[in-house]
Amino acid sequence: MSDQLKPIIEALVFLSQDPLTLDKIQSILEGTPPEEIQAALDALSADYASPERGISLRLAGGGYVFSTKPEHDGWVRRLLMIERKSKLSAAGLETLSAIAYHQPVTQAEISAIRGVDSSGALRTLLDKKLIKIVGRKKAPGNPLVYRTSERFLQYFGLNSLDELPSTEEIARILQEDAESET
Amino acid sequence: MALEPSTEGYQVKLEIFEGPLDLLLFLIRKKKIDIHDIPIAQITRDYLEYLERKDRINLDREAEFLFIASLLIYIKSQLLLPRETETAEGEDPRRILVDRLVEYQKIKAVSSVLRDREEEQLLHWRRTFLPPLPEEDPLEGMDVSLFNLAEAFFLIMKRKSAGDFRVIKGREVTIGEKMTELLGLLERESVIDYKDYFETQESLEEALISFFCLLELIKSFRVIAVQEELFQTIKVWLRKDFPRNPDYE
Repeated sequence: MSDQLKPIIEALVFLSQDPLTLDKIQSILEGTPPEEIQAALDALSADYASPERGISLRLAGGGYVFSTKPEHDGWVRRLLMIERKSKLSAAGLETLSAIAYHQPVTQAEISAIRGVDSSGALRTLLDKKLIKIVGRKKAPGNPLVYRTSERFLQYFGLNSLDELPSTEEIARILQEDAESET
Repeated sequence: MALEPSTEGYQVKLEIFEGPLDLLLFLIRKKKIDIHDIPIAQITRDYLEYLERKDRINLDREAEFLFIASLLIYIKSQLLLPRETETAEGEDPRRILVDRLVEYQKIKAVSSVLRDREEEQLLHWRRTFLPPLPEEDPLEGMDVSLFNLAEAFFLIMKRKSAGDFRVIKGREVTIGEKMTELLGLLERESVIDYKDYFETQESLEEALISFFCLLELIKSFRVIAVQEELFQTIKVWLRKDFPRNPDYE
């Protein structure tokens, strides 16, 4: 591995607005074997994991990103003058979950799954860019069709939709819930 | 999520539940019933009992809760009615509801997973996700001093005199007339742009009189004049606490 590989990758991740994918790094560092890039990334990530560093290098949203460490959250919020972080509402989360598992999906379908009108929640999610409109369904009224966005993955620190709980995992969660209630 | 015997009523309690399916799921879990084998009569009773605790009605939400109530009653009737074909199709009338509940339950489980992930992720700050630092509100109005008003007035008059027009015949205007006109305009428009209003004045005399009127109205607390920024236009409102439609003589 060339001595320069680690600092070069560090510079690239630092400057990147979106999570920097392995493919992207490879296309920039033409001819460098992917294993070497991966090794450099792992080494870099290990460097940052040291408690002496306030930043961590993580794989989130399908690529590598720098972020602050959880233990410094309080300090960061002081800088930003944010007392409480805004979280998604329960309705927003439910709507997102319904979209994530049924996409592409229309507003009527989401509302049917939840048993309540979901147009307000959809608007909020669109504003937050967590979902996107991908077209219209060939059905009466040509309703809009929604999907989760890249931002959705980033927001929840997922690398792909495959990382969402599987049917078996959901069954296990429900089982645990039922047991904890006794 | 607790359901205490309440005196607070339906509206408050409903906020806990995301919808009728959420409520139904809660009732089923509370009784530790298998979702695939719901005792419809029992659950329908619980559900309706819950709805009866309402004292205020929110039609938007009500409709969704009532829809599920009617579905429950429908299923109950299907179970009670003797069938001619003796369940030949083997279809359980509860099926439509159970399918929805099972699906909804999954969505709820995923929601809780996402909630945990959100909490965890929110502790990792990224530069691209930073909200803008709070700023002072630039739209906060400042009170207008007489000096500002006069300055705006002379600025406008200067512009006006530079304009290519000539007054052919001045019309006699009294302060009283002008005052009534200005107040009428304020009532119609609710807010007027002082500069625009000025542009409509036909003569210097009329403009002067309208300016006096404005000063008089401010002095007598009938209107509020606000200039959002120095050298900008001045907006004029009627004071809400002052009786409307005053006949000014």
